[in-house]
Amino acid sequence: MKDLDFNADKGTLLSPPLPLLSFFISILHYPSPDSWLPPNVLTALAKEFLSNFADANGEAKYTSILYKDLDEEFLRRVTENTRRYIEIFAGAIDELLPEPTEAFHDDDHDILMTQRGEDPTNSTDGSDSRQKMPPEIKRYFEVYIRAPSKGRPFTIREVKASYIGQLVRIAGIVTRCSDVKPLMQVAVYTCEECGCEIYQDVTARVFMPLYQCPSKRCSINKTKGNLILQLRASKFLKFQEAKIQELAEHVPKGHIPRSMTVHFRGEITRKVAPGDVVELSGIFLPIPYTGFRAMRAGLVADTYLEAMSVTHFKKTYEEYELRGDEEEQIARLAEDGDIYNKLARSLAPEIYGHEDVKKALLLLLVGAPHRKLKDGMKIRGDLHICLMGDPGVAKSQLLKHIINVAPRAVYTTGRGSSGVGLTAAVQKDPVTNEMVLEGGALVLADMGICAIDEFDKMDESDRTAIHEVMEQQTVSIAKAGITTSLNARTAILAAANPAWGRYDLRRTPAENINLPPALLSRFDLLWLILDRADMDSDLEMARHVVYVHQNKESPALGFTPLEPSVLRAYISAARRLSPYIPKELEEYIATAYSSIRQEEAKSNAPHSYTTVRTLLSILRISAALARLRFSETVAQSDVDEALRLMQMSKFSLYSDERQKSGLDAISDIYSILRDEAARANKMDVRYAHALNWISRKGYSEAQLKECLEEYAALNVWQIHPHTFDIRFIDA
Amino acid sequence: MGGPPYDCMSNPLGAVRLTFEKAIGLGSGSETVTHPSAFEGKDWGALELFRHFLFQESGLSKVPILNPKTLRWVQHNSLVRYRGMIQDMLGNEFYVGAYRDIKDGSSWRTNKFTDVSQYPMESPSVTCIWERRLLYCVPVPGQSSWAEPSCDMDPNWSPQSREKRRRMDGEDSDPMDLVPEDEVKSSPITKKMREDGLPSTSPEPMDLKTASSSPGMSTVQFVDKDNLPCLVKIYDSPESDLKLNDVFEFIGVLTFDSELAVEKDDNELSNSFYDDALVHMPPNKVPRLHCIVHRKLAVHDFLPGSPIMEPKPHLVKEIREALFRHLTAVLGNDGVAAHFMLLHLLSKVHTRVDDVAIGKLSLNLIGLSKESVSVFGTRLTQTFKSLLPCTKCLPLTLEYLNTASLAPKKDYQTNRLIPGVLQLPEGSHLMVDETQLESGSLNSIGIENTKILKNLTEFQKVEYDFQFYKVEMAADIQLLIFSDGKSNIVPADVIVPFQPSALESSEIPVAEALEAWRWYLATVRSLPHSIGSEMQKVVEDDLVAARQADRSLGSQDFSRWLTMGRLISSSLGETCLSLEHWQMVKELERLRKERLK
Repeated sequence: MKDLDFNADKGTLLSPPLPLLSFFISILHYPSPDSWLPPNVLTALAKEFLSNFADANGEAKYTSILYKDLDEEFLRRVTENTRRYIEIFAGAIDELLPEPTEAFHDDDHDILMTQRGEDPTNSTDGSDSRQKMPPEIKRYFEVYIRAPSKGRPFTIREVKASYIGQLVRIAGIVTRCSDVKPLMQVAVYTCEECGCEIYQDVTARVFMPLYQCPSKRCSINKTKGNLILQLRASKFLKFQEAKIQELAEHVPKGHIPRSMTVHFRGEITRKVAPGDVVELSGIFLPIPYTGFRAMRAGLVADTYLEAMSVTHFKKTYEEYELRGDEEEQIARLAEDGDIYNKLARSLAPEIYGHEDVKKALLLLLVGAPHRKLKDGMKIRGDLHICLMGDPGVAKSQLLKHIINVAPRAVYTTGRGSSGVGLTAAVQKDPVTNEMVLEGGALVLADMGICAIDEFDKMDESDRTAIHEVMEQQTVSIAKAGITTSLNARTAILAAANPAWGRYDLRRTPAENINLPPALLSRFDLLWLILDRADMDSDLEMARHVVYVHQNKESPALGFTPLEPSVLRAYISAARRLSPYIPKELEEYIATAYSSIRQEEAKSNAPHSYTTVRTLLSILRISAALARLRFSETVAQSDVDEALRLMQMSKFSLYSDERQKSGLDAISDIYSILRDEAARANKMDVRYAHALNWISRKGYSEAQLKECLEEYAALNVWQIHPHTFDIRFIDA
Repeated sequence: MGGPPYDCMSNPLGAVRLTFEKAIGLGSGSETVTHPSAFEGKDWGALELFRHFLFQESGLSKVPILNPKTLRWVQHNSLVRYRGMIQDMLGNEFYVGAYRDIKDGSSWRTNKFTDVSQYPMESPSVTCIWERRLLYCVPVPGQSSWAEPSCDMDPNWSPQSREKRRRMDGEDSDPMDLVPEDEVKSSPITKKMREDGLPSTSPEPMDLKTASSSPGMSTVQFVDKDNLPCLVKIYDSPESDLKLNDVFEFIGVLTFDSELAVEKDDNELSNSFYDDALVHMPPNKVPRLHCIVHRKLAVHDFLPGSPIMEPKPHLVKEIREALFRHLTAVLGNDGVAAHFMLLHLLSKVHTRVDDVAIGKLSLNLIGLSKESVSVFGTRLTQTFKSLLPCTKCLPLTLEYLNTASLAPKKDYQTNRLIPGVLQLPEGSHLMVDETQLESGSLNSIGIENTKILKNLTEFQKVEYDFQFYKVEMAADIQLLIFSDGKSNIVPADVIVPFQPSALESSEIPVAEALEAWRWYLATVRSLPHSIGSEMQKVVEDDLVAARQADRSLGSQDFSRWLTMGRLISSSLGETCLSLEHWQMVKELERLRKERLK
């Protein structure tokens, strides 16, 4: 073995300008039940002590040493020999801690302590190690050494034999957990003959109790003193065992997740429950078999992790921590003007086309900030989107992909695979026979995304519950004597098939969609993805299939999609912002909204129900767009894009009718421009404004140019040769 | 340790020891002894020695194969072979890899490839801890008898008779009784389930089969012939080499010692948190194999004494003709069905592109009733048994769906993966008989099971249930479904209405023919394939035209046609799609469509 100079290290720990806490004692904790100081106060005190402590020369040494002078060599030694160093640290603290100025009261342990101090026999007969009081018994603190949080934690698979005895950081999911049990740390006996207290350190889980008094007095007197174990005087630790297993994403293809046993001692017990995703730091230790088993098994050693700290993984955006290089990457992406398109394209890159749908899904991921009004009313920020379409247009794939990108998301089908269904159920616990509340998909997706496939095939009861979830974002339950309301702050992404399996063009959209208007109005965007018969898309599909069969891979995408992790990081960064709408835009949005309402009133068969909800949707989408730009204010372009998306989503439903109405794109654009100009009572229209107006209606710039040229030739308007501004010629 | 030159066969550990000593420089006279920690558990030259022995000196055939029969006479600590599928991975095991002998203080010993130290080892000696991986292997599920490796070691070894007897015994008693005599029955039932991975599920389909009204679906064939699981310990190979459900041949040192058995200590301290392999799989029931050399077995490795033939076109065509005739006869002179059947038997997942498994071709024969299944199902079963290395049959009844565990599931109490019926090695053939399904309601297990079956047919993936999450495992299973109408539980790629015209049974093929067909099916499957640019144009145009004519065609249909094209050209021993093949695809599809009307 390497000869490490532990004593020297202890020396450094004790001499004042020490890098002792370059590692830091994570908890200075008094576990006594009525401790007069709460732990956080103690920690604060410890910190204050560290920052104010002055050495002999009167300089505040700690702070400078703590942060400046990390002794790499010392660090390495501690990580490789953690268990030993815990003892050294504890010993150092023992020596540093001053005597308590106030006596503990009403604590039988301390009465014992005082008596021990007064009892002279102890000190006189101290030659035998078993009679010396072990320092553990007096300790009121626990020392944990946490692994440095730099870098990626290990997966269980990566912890090899060479890490035995070392401090490691591991990520995993807790699969089993034992009860918390007392574990003897120091066994105390008293001798029937001489009355000596005998101490025995227990280091393993199993120990052989002492029966004969080893004290000098007994051995001199040749009396075989009977030892009686004193449970009250002995020291126990809380002890808990758990099993952790590799996370699904860490398991290589074709392998089975590995697991590992973890021991928790003292104050870090009761921190985990089965199903928790945690990051543990701890010491990887072997347990040699003891006794009988050792002789037969001989060679094998079980291993476990002596836990030092527990961190729960929080899978919400709010708690998403950016890794070092990600911040940089996001900054670079944000510089890029085309980020909106780029991000949208990176969603489900293997699905061809559907750009606007992907944009909508991106906005769903980003969402808008929640608003809470003064009177307590909440306005949701989550966007709800419904995808409707023929079977086989990759709806489910889009859903699944979104689930993968979102840090917290639940995928379910309308029919609900479990008995719990979508909302929540009251179930009888098989062990305790108590009624317990079990959350359904919507509750589980709180603060995340709930993707519901086969939305149309949903149970009637769940569908009513969804009304509440979509607007109030809660689930109310009144079952089996339990009435409660659970949070379900989730964005809903639904996919549905048309009423007759395939979209029937001969019927009206309303008939095809077959969802009640009350539900439909709650969706911010509704997309219809149809499998249209056109030569180009057929050829595209044929080419794709042949290519895949020929080359055994997907055809190149023509761009490099961003990694899901980058997407996640970008979105989480964007979600931190909460953009507001500037005064000058209010008017703009109001006119836009009223014009939609008017249009609807004009047509005799309105396709959609424009309500206040629509207005809120516009605001939400705009806010999400502003977030994507990392802007604190919503710009006009955001509102325009929001209107465009809403228009496009409507077109996806009614484009056929539009064609039937006989209005071609060019004349439609003309009428839009004319109406807008008339409303403003102006003869001049700026090109940029024109572009805004028409894009809101779902037309492209190329179509606008075509329109401008065509009507200029008819002398309806004049076009500025450079700026393309329009001036109507008054007739 | 000079002595006689080691004998790799009977004293492999001696050979290991010798190489170890040589590697650390012991006995070579030099004073400097390499510290064994320098190896870090890696190989020091022992592998080379064994490879040489096995493959250069053709020692491989002399190494006995481990099965319940040979287990009775194979020596402890001798070299054996074991063929099995990796059913579970038990993680790492740390062992004292090398230690310093206390007697003379300077010599190092190694414990690699053994469970028990050969020399006394006392605790405070200097040790190096190394690690090995534990794999729990079971005999290949559904393996046909011809695919079993023959072993000419034991003269009085007659496979057929013994096996039958065994099966008889096994059927009405605990399947575990097959294996040794000294059963330490320490068990409530639950414990038994842990001990023997397979039997916990295997009796289930068995019972169902006997209970079901089709006596023809031979009960005997799918009973596990012998339940000899084996705990294989892997030393030197990257983790990515060995994957779950792979079939391997492991050659290594056997530890099968009843003395090592551990009675479960009733000490409450022996906490279940240490799922010690010794407790759940006592070494007197589950032999341990310390693997030295392993090789992955593909379909053609099962061919006994595989004659390495070049797949020459004319030869292939001849065999294809004969096989086709045979299949037609088995299928009651239904040529179209036989065509599809041939393609189906050649299908294999070549690659996966965005969730789509390219190359699969599951087949659904419709128009079958309970009665006709009993005739043709049995015949087909027998045919497949004689042609394919691994076959399995699933009789779908309501009760079965509601109770069976199709997908493997992790049991955290025992820390074991409980095998499911669908945990099958690559290239297995699975027959699903839906004709016995009656209307009724499914419970949650049933729904889960239908979902698993659907997933398997559509994506060739099985979701293993790890309770806290599910892990998708890629599968490559040829699925054949019998049903009356189109099966919706198992939505196959090709649906062929089955129209037999004759009932007389086919002649039993001669052994040589069978051998040739097996070789054909195994070899032709993995032929490379390409589509020329001219052909590509033709195919694309055809696809577009077809879609213009029929809107209901989707990319799945296109993909199926291309797969069929590939299979037809490979079935003729060719590696390039030709116009002729493409026309055959279209013709077959036309015939099929006509029948569907």
